Amino acid sequence: MLMPEPDQGVIDRRDEICRTLRQMLPADCVIDSRESMRAYDADGLSAYRQLPLAVVLPETVDQIAAVMKWCHQQEIKVVPRGAGTSLSGGALPLADAVLLGLGKFNRILETDYENRCVVAQPGVTNLAITKAVEADGFYYAPDPSSQIACSVGGNVAENSGGVHCLKYGLTTNNLLGIELVTIEGEILRLGGKHLDAGDYDLLGVMTGSEGLLGVVSEVTLRILQKPATARALLVGFEDTGDAGTAVGDIIAAGIIPAGMEMMDGLAIQAAEDFANAGYPREAAALLIIELDGPEVEVDALIERVETIVRKAGASSVRVSQSEEERNLFWAGRKSAFPAVGRISPDYLCMDGTIPRRRLPDMMRRMASLSQQYGLRVANVFHAGDGNLHPLILFDANQPGELERAEEFGADILRSCVEMGGVLTGEHGVGVEKRDLMTIQFTEDDLKQQQRLKCAFDPGHLLNPGKMFPQLHRCAELGRLHVHKGKLPHPDLPRF
Amino acid sequence: MAEFQVNNLGEVVEAVQQAVADKLRLEVRAAGTKRHLGRIASYDQVLDVSALAGIIDYQPEELVLTLRAGTPMNIVEKALADARQMLAFEPPSMTRILGEAQHGVRGTIGGVIATNISGPRRLTAGAARDYLLGFEAVSGRGELFKSGGKVMKNVTGYDLSKLMCGSFGTLGVMDEITLKTLPMPETSCSLVIGAADMPSAVSTISGIFASPHEPGASAILPANIASEEGVDSGSPFTIIIRLEGIAASVADRFGHLQAMTGGDALAEAASVKLWQRIRDVQPLVEKPFDIWKVSCAPADAVRVIDALDPRLEVRMIADWAGGLIWVAGLSPQLGPALRKAVALLDSGFAMLVRDVGVTREKIDPFEPLADSMFALHKRVKASFDPLGVLNFERMHKGI
Repeated sequence: MLMPEPDQGVIDRRDEICRTLRQMLPADCVIDSRESMRAYDADGLSAYRQLPLAVVLPETVDQIAAVMKWCHQQEIKVVPRGAGTSLSGGALPLADAVLLGLGKFNRILETDYENRCVVAQPGVTNLAITKAVEADGFYYAPDPSSQIACSVGGNVAENSGGVHCLKYGLTTNNLLGIELVTIEGEILRLGGKHLDAGDYDLLGVMTGSEGLLGVVSEVTLRILQKPATARALLVGFEDTGDAGTAVGDIIAAGIIPAGMEMMDGLAIQAAEDFANAGYPREAAALLIIELDGPEVEVDALIERVETIVRKAGASSVRVSQSEEERNLFWAGRKSAFPAVGRISPDYLCMDGTIPRRRLPDMMRRMASLSQQYGLRVANVFHAGDGNLHPLILFDANQPGELERAEEFGADILRSCVEMGGVLTGEHGVGVEKRDLMTIQFTEDDLKQQQRLKCAFDPGHLLNPGKMFPQLHRCAELGRLHVHKGKLPHPDLPRF
Repeated sequence: MAEFQVNNLGEVVEAVQQAVADKLRLEVRAAGTKRHLGRIASYDQVLDVSALAGIIDYQPEELVLTLRAGTPMNIVEKALADARQMLAFEPPSMTRILGEAQHGVRGTIGGVIATNISGPRRLTAGAARDYLLGFEAVSGRGELFKSGGKVMKNVTGYDLSKLMCGSFGTLGVMDEITLKTLPMPETSCSLVIGAADMPSAVSTISGIFASPHEPGASAILPANIASEEGVDSGSPFTIIIRLEGIAASVADRFGHLQAMTGGDALAEAASVKLWQRIRDVQPLVEKPFDIWKVSCAPADAVRVIDALDPRLEVRMIADWAGGLIWVAGLSPQLGPALRKAVALLDSGFAMLVRDVGVTREKIDPFEPLADSMFALHKRVKASFDPLGVLNFERMHKGI
């Protein structure tokens, strides 16, 4: 992975930079020894490692602002980091950048039941939000699988999802407001406890901007009342296509399950070996369908769903009869990643999205790619919204296997885009999918996105080297090419 | 003013590039039902995009609808209703409030997206901005660009769809857009509850939302309006709670909530009609009053309404559990009073939606921006439209 050429001038100034940072922050908030910085040299995409120039762990928003302002003046790059769980390398350090960790921002500032929201610092974990309000019957809906560790500030940067997004949305649909520190060190508030922007929806743009536009220093999150009950169905199919049909039929019948997950044969077996969840080992595909809401509603919909999946050709159907059994159904799915980790020394987790009806095509494509690359692939899939998580099995100790696995992954993502889908459904672009952006976007698409970046960070100082395959200077991007009173005409189809 | 009709993307690109070259300001217009929303600004040419219309692809079982921005809303709603689906954000019809009703024209989907207007279900299901999955547009540089996609879950690149929603056509001329659709609820009904004052209305609603009985929409009507709408609870304020879903669920939740709060039932037909009137702000449109929209934290509704001097003689309704307050009145003091009330809150805004007594030349329809936010908005605008070719100053002076 090619990162922007580090600025040797900045690296040479490292001692002086750390001294100045120590004047701005309490001494223990600046980390510059190589040993201590090693804890920050990677995020969840651990194949890529890099020691930062220095690590700062500010304790107040004014300290964040002071660091940003000074770095901006000195033209020193800044890489923001939450809990470091990004699977796309969003928090990968740069040799010439200050790594700004938000780990000390770990307090919940307010739980407001009248307005049904929680105000929290960005370093609070996703699960801690739910923990703070669950005694009163509330919860925070987005539940990325890393929710025990990932921070809500990171959730905003990545627009994190989870297994319940089909019904409850991603972070962007559950975020009411943020406080944001710009690269110039200015503190801005976007949104609040009210709904909608009333101006440009900069809150919406900040969400999922992967730390390239600003540093989130506070969040206001919408909380929901916990559904009265939840039940799940565990449905086996002999044919993946039938499972796909069943998913479409459920939605066409007007039912939006709280979660609808699919696993393929290899994933079923790995998970069953690991978790003993009672999964049908012989099935080619497994659906876990969860319905939540009032008891009468859930009971009625479970019946409807059961009829639909049987009609679609299910080979086995189990309906959870207790909370314990429902949790067991999920236990296999939730341990799918470690379970696959047990049958292979290493695996790559991909994250594309396709229109759901293309699932059988995609499964066929993956099988043929698997043969071509000589690597196995296990599939877990947020079936309701078409978000695929193929796990490519490989052994990093075998020369060339990592590269082969990465090529395989890139081919899967290319297929996603070819089938009308996208490169990433919830993990983000980061460095991992950066160079694939040109598959999904034209040069003009990417230029327009980078122009927006320039509106926030004209010097490209915030998290450079992420998301965009090629960095253009803002002055060059801003130029309008008018020749003899006419702009050059792009070659456009007329219809 | 010269009007220029475009029929395809190529023509949009050409028209915008010509405007860039000639330094012309374009007013982007389709049905024109929301022309009175926003600032009054002067333009050199109308770019008529109403021909960029039609449904391109609709896959109900994928919950995805791809169509062109100029598609009339009645066509969109008909296609969705045929598949028993809907736009869950419940887009209001602004034709009556803005006085542009003409032969059943209800505006276009592009107008709905550009103004990010949403109805009562916004409280629980999200706004227009939560349902735009992707789009293709021509920027003020005359360049075709796209963002987002045609699938439900997507975090590839910046989410420019959010930015297009509510940007009033100042950033790009949209053509193809993709929306998330949802199934229509099988049935609905409402619960009508009395409240002695606004604080107790807000607290009753908080109690209802702290229950697992899934209220879907929640409005507060003062006695005069409740009585005109035929839902008078006999109290100074009347709370309306809407429940939607399958029949067994609605009946069950209604029973629980009624046991909790008292109140009367409003059966499906009457409930649908009332919520449509609330959605379209109909209780306030008849009288020739200025109409303001205030967005605030739901509990702050108490403070906003308290700040309205009785001498202002307003009519008002609150939706979104108090978080959306529509205020109608004729006093020139109304706008300043609302802006002052909002300024005292932690967050929120007041927008002039219809001007009759005051003019939009004298008072900014949009909440004025603080300096740093103004500067950022200006840079964002310039990143899409450096010369101000598209709907210049429709939202703010200089943007």
